[in-house]
Amino acid sequence: MSRLAVARTIAAALAFAASIAFILIAPHWDKVGDIKGAQMGTYFIAIVGLNIVTGYTGQISLAQGAFMAIGGYTTAFLVTHGVRDLWTIPVAALVAGVFGFLLGIPALRLSGLYLALVTFGLAVAMPDLIAWDKLSSVTKGGQSIQLFGSKHLLGQGFNDVTVLGHTTSFNRAVYYLTWAIALVLFLVAWLLLRGGPGRAFRAVRDSEVAAASSGVHIAAHKTLAFAIGAAYAGVAGSLLVIAVAFADPQSFPAKLSLTILVGAVIAGLGSMWGVLLGAAFVEFLPVVSVHISKSQGVPDAIYGAALILIVLLLPAGVAGLLKRAASPLTTRLYTRS
Amino acid sequence: MPRFFLIATAALLVLGIPVAFGGTTSDPGITSTSIHIGGTAPLTGVAQGFRSVAEGANAYFKYVNARGGVNGRKINYEYEDDQYIPSETVRATRDLVENKDVFAIFNSLGTEQNEAIRPYLNQKQVPQLFVATGGTEFGRDYKQYPWTIAYQPTYISEGTMYGTYIRRTMPRAKIAVLYQNDSYGNDLIAGLQRGLGARKGNIVSKVGYSATDDNVQSEIAQLRASKAGILMLFATPKFVIQAYQYVNGLGWKPKIFNNAVSSASNVMVLSSSRGQNKRVEGSISIVFLKDPNDPKWKRDPAVLLYRKIMKRYNRNGNIKDVYNLYGMSAAFTFVDALKHAGKSPTRASLMRAATHLSERNNPFVLPGMTIRTAANDHYPMDQARLQRWHNGRWISFGGLLKARSQ
Repeated sequence: MSRLAVARTIAAALAFAASIAFILIAPHWDKVGDIKGAQMGTYFIAIVGLNIVTGYTGQISLAQGAFMAIGGYTTAFLVTHGVRDLWTIPVAALVAGVFGFLLGIPALRLSGLYLALVTFGLAVAMPDLIAWDKLSSVTKGGQSIQLFGSKHLLGQGFNDVTVLGHTTSFNRAVYYLTWAIALVLFLVAWLLLRGGPGRAFRAVRDSEVAAASSGVHIAAHKTLAFAIGAAYAGVAGSLLVIAVAFADPQSFPAKLSLTILVGAVIAGLGSMWGVLLGAAFVEFLPVVSVHISKSQGVPDAIYGAALILIVLLLPAGVAGLLKRAASPLTTRLYTRS
Repeated sequence: MPRFFLIATAALLVLGIPVAFGGTTSDPGITSTSIHIGGTAPLTGVAQGFRSVAEGANAYFKYVNARGGVNGRKINYEYEDDQYIPSETVRATRDLVENKDVFAIFNSLGTEQNEAIRPYLNQKQVPQLFVATGGTEFGRDYKQYPWTIAYQPTYISEGTMYGTYIRRTMPRAKIAVLYQNDSYGNDLIAGLQRGLGARKGNIVSKVGYSATDDNVQSEIAQLRASKAGILMLFATPKFVIQAYQYVNGLGWKPKIFNNAVSSASNVMVLSSSRGQNKRVEGSISIVFLKDPNDPKWKRDPAVLLYRKIMKRYNRNGNIKDVYNLYGMSAAFTFVDALKHAGKSPTRASLMRAATHLSERNNPFVLPGMTIRTAANDHYPMDQARLQRWHNGRWISFGGLLKARSQ
């Protein structure tokens, strides 16, 4: 192992340990708490998924919120039909993943701006699709689905939850559930991206011609990336519904897809280092901007200004900043070795 | 050994006294000098026009606090932004109840939004007071949800008032309806049909839109094809403003009824493109609050009070925005209920007071209106008057109407 690789591994381990420490402390810190912390976790999962599609494979997708809706409604439908909520999470991933795969097929013929428009079209149409009366046997035709009090739901949606002899409040249980899943999915993504599929994804992103001539199956990898990204969003949507014990079309607006994209850009596309901060940004900037001023239009203006500022100062996101901060150190290591 | 028992007994006594004399444990969010209540409103996002409901209420509470509060308690009203997204409403409400220890949830805005939090608040036995929506279910389902109480006239009663008026004055006119395709729009239609009674066959066309739609252009064109003489607009402000434009653009000249959700005079002025669009003239709606823009109320003590409170406690607010006054009216009713909830209110005693109101002195509602509730009547308001838009302002006509709420 070269010194560079050792340094990278140590840095990764330290960053991971710091993230774990933050996740364990966050619910006890009243500025974060269980509820906002859990929401941050769902954003985290959706951002990791989008990063695989957009960051690593170079396929821009503005439909992540629509896949969250598919995952969320899968959970709502299954719980009302007597399936235990935890078991609905993998099903939600599967269903959303299949839809992601299907969206990946037309995406093969489109790129750049056109792909962005098609995926955004799905995000815009999703609330209406849910309300479509032909789907009403599954989605209740746009009427909200109330899961509160269901015995198939964690603590029926409000009760204390006992896990391995530890009793904890419903909100904290949702928090730990969300982050446990988030960390597992993060590690899965990390392993995937550093292995063969990850190299193929990056090859597709950097040059399709070069990738194809090296034997990478372009179509297979693009649709695979879409399916994985959508499956992650499905899990996020499922957890969102479990956390509020409620599903309705308005909870998955087109803006949600934009929020996830903003989070991924802030985190840094094509890198996993900044995802936690990207998720924290999209969860807390609206809270902070309303806190600064509740006057009409001001919170939105603060949000916009902060976004512009960050993209100008950190064009490669938080991950880029971390890399730049670490580069003098690693460059020296590299030149010495 | 005896000494050990002596000490143990003493210790038990000392520890036991607070338990024995603490009496009933008081509910969260209330002390002898303050009461902490919470709610949600869309401060950002698509529906942020309704933000002034919470701001008006907050200004009124500040005014009450400056005059000593209620029974020596200052009201601390913490309203959170839910962006008009129901899942955000759930999160914000849980946060208010579990982490911020609010005593009650007051005047949260939106039908779906209040539906989303209703089972939770009733499970936790936290009062869900005076919801800012005309959804019928919040008064109707009081047996299943005893901790929830409505506020404004329901959409069913509003529809009934229009139907009755049309049956009496224009019994032969054909009616076209634009409605939001959810429980709010459907309640208005159900009321309209009830009011029309035997004449409900006069409704020749009904076209729904979804709250997430961009515009209602094709819906209006479809309605126009019915050649109806009356157009009902059961829609939120954005779509009502569009509807007036499209009706005018198509050269259609129906008599228009516009629901109270969108009849604020500031919305009407926008709809009329500052007087350019003649289709707005003669529109009919209902009213239950004093419109601060109406010259009729210029010297009315309530509107003078409204202006004073706005200037002192909501300086950034738009004084012409009627939703501020709506918030103040709800805040007045809350203060009234709190006054009647006893010297040391509990959640249960506040709920009891809210369901036994007989409020004749609310200055912000129309003269002669009574805000009345009972154990089996969770509909505080069930009266309103008709009003007609003429020369840039609303003119009310006829007496106070009363319609069944469900």
